[in-house]
Amino acid sequence: MIMNRRAFIKACGIMTGYAVLSLNMVKEAAASAMDFVGIRQKSVYDADANPKIYKIRKSQDNPMVKKIYDPKTGYLVDGPCGNLSYHLLHTHYVDRSAKVAALKAKGFKLNF
Amino acid sequence: MRQIEGVMYQTNAPKGVDPDNIFFVQVDATKCETCGECEEVCPTGVIQSINDAGIRAVVDPAGCVNCGQCLAHCPYGAIYEGVSYVDEIFEKLKDPDTIVVSMPAPAVRYGLGECFGTPTGTYVGGQMHAALRRLGFDYIWDNEFTADVTIMEEGTELIKRVKNHGKPGAYPLPQFTSCCPGWVKFAETFYPDLLPNMSTCKSPIGMLGPLAKTYGAKQTHTKAKKIYTVSIMPCIAKKYEGLRPELADSGFRDIDATINTRELAYMIKTAGIDFNSLPSEQPDPILGESTGAATIFGNSGGVMEAALRLAYEVLSGKKLADPNILAVRTHEGINTADVAVPGFGTVKVAVASGLDNAAKLCDEVRAGKSPYHFIEIMTCPGGCVNGGGQPLDPELRASLFKSTVARINSRFRARNTRA
Repeated sequence: MIMNRRAFIKACGIMTGYAVLSLNMVKEAAASAMDFVGIRQKSVYDADANPKIYKIRKSQDNPMVKKIYDPKTGYLVDGPCGNLSYHLLHTHYVDRSAKVAALKAKGFKLNF
Repeated sequence: MRQIEGVMYQTNAPKGVDPDNIFFVQVDATKCETCGECEEVCPTGVIQSINDAGIRAVVDPAGCVNCGQCLAHCPYGAIYEGVSYVDEIFEKLKDPDTIVVSMPAPAVRYGLGECFGTPTGTYVGGQMHAALRRLGFDYIWDNEFTADVTIMEEGTELIKRVKNHGKPGAYPLPQFTSCCPGWVKFAETFYPDLLPNMSTCKSPIGMLGPLAKTYGAKQTHTKAKKIYTVSIMPCIAKKYEGLRPELADSGFRDIDATINTRELAYMIKTAGIDFNSLPSEQPDPILGESTGAATIFGNSGGVMEAALRLAYEVLSGKKLADPNILAVRTHEGINTADVAVPGFGTVKVAVASGLDNAAKLCDEVRAGKSPYHFIEIMTCPGGCVNGGGQPLDPELRASLFKSTVARINSRFRARNTRA
């Protein structure tokens, strides 16, 4: 069979189209089974359950946590939510609604 | 502007600036193809059309929670980051008079490898610590340690709230988590009446900054004023959090610089470190050691699960035999669970992934109909592993077919509006 230039380009185009389409369909099928966020999440839980990566699985059992809260010698000697904890580790929040109210008053629509 | 792992960055290291006035993400109008993907994923709707052609922009930083989901979904690389401390950190690492401290978040170690060709989600925590050491960080401290501290503080706070419930002057229930900076700004902006429900605990990075400059300085006999703390996050909103004026409880700025996973990969590549051949190394003790409870902070539902591993043992006085609390693990949407604690009763919890789901729970609280004790909220669907500062999904720009269709559609729409 002799193919002229025009037919050859057309055939190439069709083949490319199929290649791109089917490739994407395969990709989408794989993605619905497990998307990339799901893969990262699984990896996190696997590390948590892997004693070679994390020997200890509860925060209260972390020896360095025990050390910092030690009731005699610890830096945070008065325990969680103690005075020094409140100073260093706790905070307060600020009402920021005024600026967004001004934005809405200018005619911008937001979701909330 | 500089390209880092497929994303454009402005070289801008703000100091003493009100973060409310900074665009942490913005659309480059010359690259916007008007596909509208950013508007679809934006939780607040602040990224929207600014002209008839459909070019998008963040119209005002006030409505933006800086999550960067728009950036992570733009198929054209049209959305750039407005803040990058990379150059400043390189300078500090060279300065012999500055003690530079690394503070990487849990989720970074599940994304960083992707920038060096490992399969999606590969755990590279050991190599990450080694790379930070090779980069010249003086102390390899880790934000996972303060994730454990967060559980101690936030769990204790929750138990206090439950015990004092109904007493005059007591903090209200439910208690919301406060680890996610996008969610915190969202609550401050759109649900300020619920701020008493927010845990008063700083996020893990908000705790590690001041601990590094007080406890860490003391333990290592270092002058606190010489310490420069670098927060390394899977997140863009953490750059906003680092600039919050109130985070200065150590007597200095608690957090001096914030970068994300992509920028750390760029720094490792720029320094010529062969990441894949690095050995697995441990962080430095004191503020480095961590547990499985800390690492799951990277997932939606993780903070809840870690907190329940503590609350169960404190409230019941018994050992929790199986630390896996599968009911709260959340991939998308809202998860609720009743956890039976012997000797105490039922702890009712909810986990929301994404701010549209968070808003549903907020509306319940506002109406006084929320049955929960504790609610965890993550801005990014799936949690920090899907943060706006993580390496991009390789499918995003590879999907030639989808982006071509979007491009043709946008040209067609543009022609129609002109006609």
